[in-house]
Amino acid sequence: MIAAVLFILFIALMLAGVPIGIALGLGATAAIAMANVDTANFGLLAVPQNFYATLTKYPLLALPMFVLVGSIFDRSGVAQRLINLAIALVGRGPGMLPVVAIAVAMFLGGISGSGPANAAAVGGVMIAAMARAGYPASFSASVIGAAASTDILIPPSIALIIYSVLTPGASVPALFAAGMLPGVLIGLALMIPAVWLSRRHGLGAREAEQARPALLVSLREAFWGLTAPILILGGMRLGWFTPTEAAAVAVGYGLLIGMAIHKTIGVRDLLPIFREAAELSAVILMVIGLASIFAYALSTLSIIDPIAKAILSSGISSSAALACIVILLLIVGMFLDGISIFLIFVPLLTPFMRAFQWDPVWFGILMTMMVAVGQFTPPMAVNLMVSCKMAKVPIDQTFKWVWWFVLAVLIAVTAVVIFPGLALWLPKALGY
Amino acid sequence: MENDKPVAWYRRADDAIGAWLLAALLVITLVNVFVRYFTDQSFAWTEELSSFLMLVMCLAGSASAITRDSHIRVEFFFEAADPGRRAGFEKFSTLANALFFFGLGLLSAMMAWDEFRFGDTSPAIGLPKWWYSIWLPIFCAILCTRSLQRFQQIQRPHGQAAEKDAP
Repeated sequence: MIAAVLFILFIALMLAGVPIGIALGLGATAAIAMANVDTANFGLLAVPQNFYATLTKYPLLALPMFVLVGSIFDRSGVAQRLINLAIALVGRGPGMLPVVAIAVAMFLGGISGSGPANAAAVGGVMIAAMARAGYPASFSASVIGAAASTDILIPPSIALIIYSVLTPGASVPALFAAGMLPGVLIGLALMIPAVWLSRRHGLGAREAEQARPALLVSLREAFWGLTAPILILGGMRLGWFTPTEAAAVAVGYGLLIGMAIHKTIGVRDLLPIFREAAELSAVILMVIGLASIFAYALSTLSIIDPIAKAILSSGISSSAALACIVILLLIVGMFLDGISIFLIFVPLLTPFMRAFQWDPVWFGILMTMMVAVGQFTPPMAVNLMVSCKMAKVPIDQTFKWVWWFVLAVLIAVTAVVIFPGLALWLPKALGY
Repeated sequence: MENDKPVAWYRRADDAIGAWLLAALLVITLVNVFVRYFTDQSFAWTEELSSFLMLVMCLAGSASAITRDSHIRVEFFFEAADPGRRAGFEKFSTLANALFFFGLGLLSAMMAWDEFRFGDTSPAIGLPKWWYSIWLPIFCAILCTRSLQRFQQIQRPHGQAAEKDAP
């Protein structure tokens, strides 16, 4: 009964357009009050206590720092130089520019931690370049929206930090290491339909006529961008910095590149950059804080344990349950953004994880891959929205292309389901 | 800001608090790294300070986000609705916001009061806990006010388009 109130209130408020965090908070507060009618203050002091305790967790500081990294590298001029280098390396020809876009999005994934920031950085340069080479804007937007989704798997990743905060037994370094190979796998999987569609539809016919940048010059220009992931990931791996510190160092490095070397960021740009990053972090942190009240309600009102028992006694097999979860996440991914998916579904899916003894790191990577698909599956697709806005095409024009990319990533997801080693080998080899 | 209308002072204040706190968090974290490498000291107490500043940054940034209407919501039904119904949804959503932050403010004031009464001190620095927690009800009051101000803007004809700038 109380569980029903919790879910119905939450879902109804959410569908009415109330911010997701507020819907979670109101639903949970009502449920806690109903469950504790006999207690002093209806047990509601747990609401501010959970909110306060969650938002003052020190490891969570990595999140605003990585948001800031994204905002700064987005404007640092690094993307342009990496793209020149990539073109110099792979050459010109039909289907090559989409491959370059995907490769650069993957590389930037090693610096920033959020998909939309990546789509903005790559899209800012690639959409005009692809238009000059004769690719239709709807195709470019699809490629870039899909490519940017590798960002939340390739470390560092804001999504994995959130998952780590929610899941005991899945540390940030282990998740970062585990996301690497699946992220690369998704990138490679995206390249296949990108080249195939270009060839089949004769896209980018004028690409071969465009000049190929000189290799050594572009290498020297791209040097600063190339060293950034080495500093961030290498610094964490060698134990120089914690994830939060690595992000702070990356911010300093990005500001150095943007302000002193490429001169794309002026002193007057700083306040808007910090303002934007602070607001975006606040929006994410707010949902995390309010979702902790929801998670508290779920666990104290004994909603989770009966579900877990029901799962085990139903006799459903581990792989059938997993298939259901993947399909469920694919569907909710079309309507919910990634952060909300984690905050709502990690507490709900934890009983499955425990019941079937799935590895929490592997399961986190799987969920993140599904969120990555959701980031470019219409109608609600944050990355695609960014790339479409930049390409000035309505999102429905991308439908004829984007499904091929969705299919490619789903094949990669299947590979990680069948071979958990794809995710778990690297963290084990690195000793996390 | 894309529009030429002067921006209300409270919006600039919310924005500035968020931006400067983020900058402060960055500087504290970087100083920590340097101090650790060049001396043998470690600043454990900065963790407590940073955590608190992050909370305040989140609250101030949320106030900006309410004014700009950039909190995460399910946009699918929202976008599909016709303008009249959408305004209704939006009004309902700002009122739900206001109600929630009013309640959270009340409850967090009780929490801060308890901490004051019982003289709880923080684990790392040993400061009275209510020095930190008192900011929660204060900012909840601000967030509640921002929601109502937003409600007023939607009520006013043409006010909505002018205030809703880039996400």
